[in-house]
Amino acid sequence: MAEPQMREVAFRGGGFVLSPRRGAAAVFFALLLALWELAIRAGWISPLFLPAPSAVTTALWELALAGTLGLHVGQSLARIAAGWSIGTIAGLGVGFAMGIWSMSRAIGVPAVSALFPIPKIALLPLLILWLGIGEPSKIATIALGVFFPTAIAAYSGIDGVPRNLIRMGQSFNLPWLAILRKIVLPGALPGILAGFRITASIALILLVAAEMIGAQYGIGAFILSAGNLMQTDQLLAGVVLLSVLGLAIGTVLSRLERWLLGWR
Amino acid sequence: MRKFHIFAGAVAALAVIGLSPVAQAAEKIAVGALRLTSSGPIFIALEKGYFREQGLDAELKLFTAATQPPLAVVSGDVDFAVTGLTAGFYNLAGKGGVKIIGAQSREESGFPLIAYMATNQAWDKGFRSLKDFAGKSVAVTTTGSTFHYSLGLLAKKYGFDVNSVTMRQLNGLPAMQAAFKGGQVDAILVPSVGARALESEGAGKILGWVGDETPWQLGALFTSPKNIAERRPMVQAFVRAYQKAASEYHKAFNAKDAAGKVVKGPNYDEMLALLAKAMEQPPERIAIGLPYIDALGRLDVGDIYNQVAFWQGAGLVDKSVDAKAVLDLSFVEGHFNLPR
Repeated sequence: MAEPQMREVAFRGGGFVLSPRRGAAAVFFALLLALWELAIRAGWISPLFLPAPSAVTTALWELALAGTLGLHVGQSLARIAAGWSIGTIAGLGVGFAMGIWSMSRAIGVPAVSALFPIPKIALLPLLILWLGIGEPSKIATIALGVFFPTAIAAYSGIDGVPRNLIRMGQSFNLPWLAILRKIVLPGALPGILAGFRITASIALILLVAAEMIGAQYGIGAFILSAGNLMQTDQLLAGVVLLSVLGLAIGTVLSRLERWLLGWR
Repeated sequence: MRKFHIFAGAVAALAVIGLSPVAQAAEKIAVGALRLTSSGPIFIALEKGYFREQGLDAELKLFTAATQPPLAVVSGDVDFAVTGLTAGFYNLAGKGGVKIIGAQSREESGFPLIAYMATNQAWDKGFRSLKDFAGKSVAVTTTGSTFHYSLGLLAKKYGFDVNSVTMRQLNGLPAMQAAFKGGQVDAILVPSVGARALESEGAGKILGWVGDETPWQLGALFTSPKNIAERRPMVQAFVRAYQKAASEYHKAFNAKDAAGKVVKGPNYDEMLALLAKAMEQPPERIAIGLPYIDALGRLDVGDIYNQVAFWQGAGLVDKSVDAKAVLDLSFVEGHFNLPR
């Protein structure tokens, strides 16, 4: 039997540790945009099929110069803010009820399952009959879309709170409200906040549907109109606006998460 | 197993050769249309084999919105299409995507296609004539639509400012009719079937019809510039078949008596049954909204020029679009109203 040989080995157990690479995303997007622009300038792609980034930027710039950019973004933000807030407050209320009381859950779960999959766009004529073609029907479209995922996120968030923590609170004779405020709410918060991320995107997606109802201004109305008029550069300009809005809302939610979940 | 496949393939090949002596030379084409009576000649030509007569093996592709057929021509999914002319169409055509070669339907006096209606509330407040349109709100699909152009022509006719009319864009007939029934708007532009329904429900009153007020070139037959450049004989053959079907349509549905009243022409019942089958709707319903279609697919060229100018004036079509470049008048003879 040979003497075991000693050999120097480099540390290999680094795992797939991800280190932040600042700027990599920016470089990637810049390269992609440059290639896109080049493909159109060189004539590889017809501008009929895909407008150049420069054309999209020009469309945005013209919108800003005409002074309507603020109107579009402002009106859309107002609709999203109102619709999302109403949908979220109602969804949290119903979701909490479903999480805490047996009766609410017995009724709520099948009701949510039955009503959630209804396409909101199919309801537009009804919403118009009930609420008219002003702001209420547009806000209701967004609120309806936000309500159901929020309710689901809230009650499954509460379901996920460890039972033994609640039992401990009960053993120590904590008042009902204190258990709710100090154990259930913080425990359910991560799930609820994840739900917010989804509903914020849903609100943006439903903006186009909401602004189908006789909207003169708004990013959704702008995108719809550009599509009907085959103005593809403006269409993409509107899509860029939606993406930027999505990014901004996402950033705000990240901040909110860091602040609210600091206790973890 | 493989042997069987080869055998089956051979049988299939024999069957194809044996069954289609004519199809051997037939050139494959695809035609795009909406399931509307204004596309009537396409359905007639398909059903009665007029494309095949011209050596064309035509496949029909149906679309659900007027914006789709021109896009399908640009993408090469269809070779020909018929649809209503909108601002979006001219933006696409102006970029060299499609070229108009003939006429589809036309708004024409005596053919009730699109109605102007007033709600009962607006009627009670004195909105009883199309002259009173200024300052009213009206439900339309979108700006840049055929409805928008009709309103523009009406404004010119009665001398009111089209910008004083509030156009409520509701992106679809169901939403438009809901807004009208709920009294959210003063007026609506609505196709004949919907207009009759709204009237019989007592939701409003018909003030007039677009065709009676302002005749114009509502729709067109178009193809891609590539087809015109590279497959000219095929385009000519298609137009011949289209004209044959259009003239049958015209004779059956667009005949007028000495007093100018629309009457049933020859083969009316046969043609109505054919269209009813193609539309998958009862004949009585089809008969309500049969549009005027020129027998030879001739265009009101002056109106096309006027449409482009109107959209450019409204800022909806790019200033660089030239009406002349959008048209190819060499396939159909005798177009109307040519600008000097």
